[in-house]
Amino acid sequence: MIKRVIKKLFCLVIVLVILSFLVFALLYIAPGDPAEKRLTSQGVAITKEVLDSERERLGLLKPFLVRYGEWLLCIVRGDFGISFKDDMPVAPKLVAGLRNTSILALTSLFVSLIISFPLAIISAIRKDGITDHIVRLFSFVGNSLPNFLISVLLMYLLCIKLNLFPVIASGNIQGLFMPVVSLAIPMTGRFVRQIRSEFLNEMKEDYVIGMKGRGVSCRYIILNLVHNCLGHVFTIVALQIGSLMSGSVVIETIFRWPGIGKLVMDSITARDYPVIMGFVIIMGTIYVVINQLSDILCHYLDPRTEI
Amino acid sequence: MDEKLLEIKNLSVAYDESLVIKNVNLDIYKGEVFCLVGESGSGKSTLIKSICRNKYAKITGGEIFFREQCISDIKDKEMASFLGCRIGLIQQNPEGAFNPLRKLSDQFNETVKSHGKKLDKEKLNRIFSTLNLKDMDRILKSRPYELSGGMNQRIAIAASFILEPELLLCDEITSALDVTTAIAVTDELLRLKNDMNVAIVLVTHNLGIAANIADRIGIMYKGEIVEIGATSKVLENPQHEYTKRLLQDVPKLKAI
Amino acid sequence: MKKKKIKAKIIVVSAIAIMLILVTVFADFFAPNDPYTTSASSIRLAPCLKYPFGTDNLGRCVLSRVLYGGRTTIAATFALVFISFAIGAIVGMLCGYYGGIFDKLLMRIADILLAFPQMVVAIVVAGILNGGLGGAMIALGITMWVSFARLSRSHTYSLKNQDFIKAALFAGKSDLYIIAVHIFPNILPPVLTNALTQIGTTMIGLSGLSFLGLGVVPPAAEWGSMISEARAYIQIAPWAVLYPALATVFTIIVFNYLGDVVMDYREA
Repeated sequence: MIKRVIKKLFCLVIVLVILSFLVFALLYIAPGDPAEKRLTSQGVAITKEVLDSERERLGLLKPFLVRYGEWLLCIVRGDFGISFKDDMPVAPKLVAGLRNTSILALTSLFVSLIISFPLAIISAIRKDGITDHIVRLFSFVGNSLPNFLISVLLMYLLCIKLNLFPVIASGNIQGLFMPVVSLAIPMTGRFVRQIRSEFLNEMKEDYVIGMKGRGVSCRYIILNLVHNCLGHVFTIVALQIGSLMSGSVVIETIFRWPGIGKLVMDSITARDYPVIMGFVIIMGTIYVVINQLSDILCHYLDPRTEI
Repeated sequence: MDEKLLEIKNLSVAYDESLVIKNVNLDIYKGEVFCLVGESGSGKSTLIKSICRNKYAKITGGEIFFREQCISDIKDKEMASFLGCRIGLIQQNPEGAFNPLRKLSDQFNETVKSHGKKLDKEKLNRIFSTLNLKDMDRILKSRPYELSGGMNQRIAIAASFILEPELLLCDEITSALDVTTAIAVTDELLRLKNDMNVAIVLVTHNLGIAANIADRIGIMYKGEIVEIGATSKVLENPQHEYTKRLLQDVPKLKAI
Repeated sequence: MKKKKIKAKIIVVSAIAIMLILVTVFADFFAPNDPYTTSASSIRLAPCLKYPFGTDNLGRCVLSRVLYGGRTTIAATFALVFISFAIGAIVGMLCGYYGGIFDKLLMRIADILLAFPQMVVAIVVAGILNGGLGGAMIALGITMWVSFARLSRSHTYSLKNQDFIKAALFAGKSDLYIIAVHIFPNILPPVLTNALTQIGTTMIGLSGLSFLGLGVVPPAAEWGSMISEARAYIQIAPWAVLYPALATVFTIIVFNYLGDVVMDYREA
């Protein structure tokens, strides 16, 4: 067990190193070298002399791998470099954005789970009944709605038609409502579908017949089913973290929520590479770590599964 | 042996939409051991499943009475009050009785609580020792996936007996076990039965086991009970062609 | 019995899907106006006879733009899914058939690509490439081929050890012949089903990128970018948002549903 966890952690480190390498390479895929990019993003007129001195200052004359190593060391120490746009350190920007994004993302994750978990279970237990059909219809439609569309429609409905909310989100609970709903609707749809099918699979297990044969009451049977599904639910949630991240980029841009997603969109427009790279590193790390953790958790809940 | 416990009248059952049991009549008496013998596909397991309301075994005709009360047309919820505390069921698959991932103590507690009782540790200990299960506390702390098939099947038997049913339906409970374990488990089952005075319906394809423990034997063939009677009578003086063939096919087991 | 019912559903839904495709392919024929003609005199007109879906901020016909935009979205989605399918299936079949170091290496790459949040990667790559629709397609395609590759690899792998393949090998058929004639037709149904279920997701992804300004560049019509543009004046001309929005939702629902019923059919 411990050996496996260590192996898992080792894999995790390798994946993260590859991630960082790809991100670093990203800077070189795009046309123009970093010096050029920095100057363009600051709006400086590019001459040969300015470019050369900038290259020297940024250490671009060193070999690629050396630069990568230095950069990686800085990242590990929490130094994400200096923004091209305003020469401010990137790390505090990312941290502030991440905090706001976490509020948004965790709230909508929480809301989605609170709604989808009971719905999925009721729907699975009453399979092919009216409740099941209604729940399936809604989850199907929810799953088919892109979240930018939901937010635009919500804005139209709540802000303009009903005049309930201000169009631009403020930093309070009221401002949180529409972004959270926009993120939660498609996610709830996906959760309901996936948890329902997990639950249906679990209901086919032999022990359910055994328990019914002993006359074990319904709520205990459901308790057992939920217990055994929990590991799979963690996996489902962990995999959805990715779409939650990209969703928050869209939602934050629409509602001007000062999160990391809006930060990265602004940085993409301004070609502010250090911020973009920091964003990918942070998001990738969070996603990878959560997914590996969910594997370990899964094994803990159901020791029959391999890590 | 004259008190009727279970009465099956003209029962027809469909499994997955094809009729597998046709017009079966069967009476089970208090405290007896009745063995239902037949080849696979003869419908013997389906008969058990139809009594316990398995959703795949649909009753298409006839009635089932338990102590003169019809239990084949009552609602599932009412039926749940019969299952476990009055009619017990043990399945073929040893892993099929318990959730493999939860502690057995929790599952025993849930079982008895569902019938409004409290877990009687002393009684459970007696049952466990009859079943040759040593160290009850350690077993109760473990999860079924950690235990062997024979162990799990014994614990499943214990879980049925703790509810003190009047009738216990055993569906091929030994066929997933190795031969020696199977014999041991059958012996223990018989001992428990004598302690608690439970009627047992044992479904098996193993005529040897049936010969060892049954008071009466029923032979099932192609969805019908073709022969029924006291064990010695059926084995020594078979009437139906299929029974004769069955007896010829298992000379070794007959020697046991 | 059940299968028959699902079959009927598939026929109905695919008929609707084909109609959708035809309407957008022949957008020139169905569109009442030119989608790019701006007109100062007809800015933000409400839906009327001449402009059934109204006009946008520049006086362009929304219905025509929805039709032409549909062509962009649907064509780009199908192209992307098809290319990912082709690359994934070929890589997967070769890996599954030959195995060895090549297989291990590619599957490792696939694992790593799947270890990252796909849409986040797509947003960043599309942003950096800044290459319009092509850039957005590349950004989504980087991770999309992986699921096809894995699926076709696992199916090829299990096929490889079956008797009819061995028989073909003993008969002296070349590897290429076996892959093309025996393996490919057999892996096609599951992989194609997967492709079908990917269409809706891809559409959401593509229009999402366009909405963020990372896909189709205006003035070219695309649903995501139309919604994004018209969002600014939604108070004055809600039709310029609502009709492309409806078109998006309807199309995604149709293709998602098609994927669902085909899955049901294969499982039933």
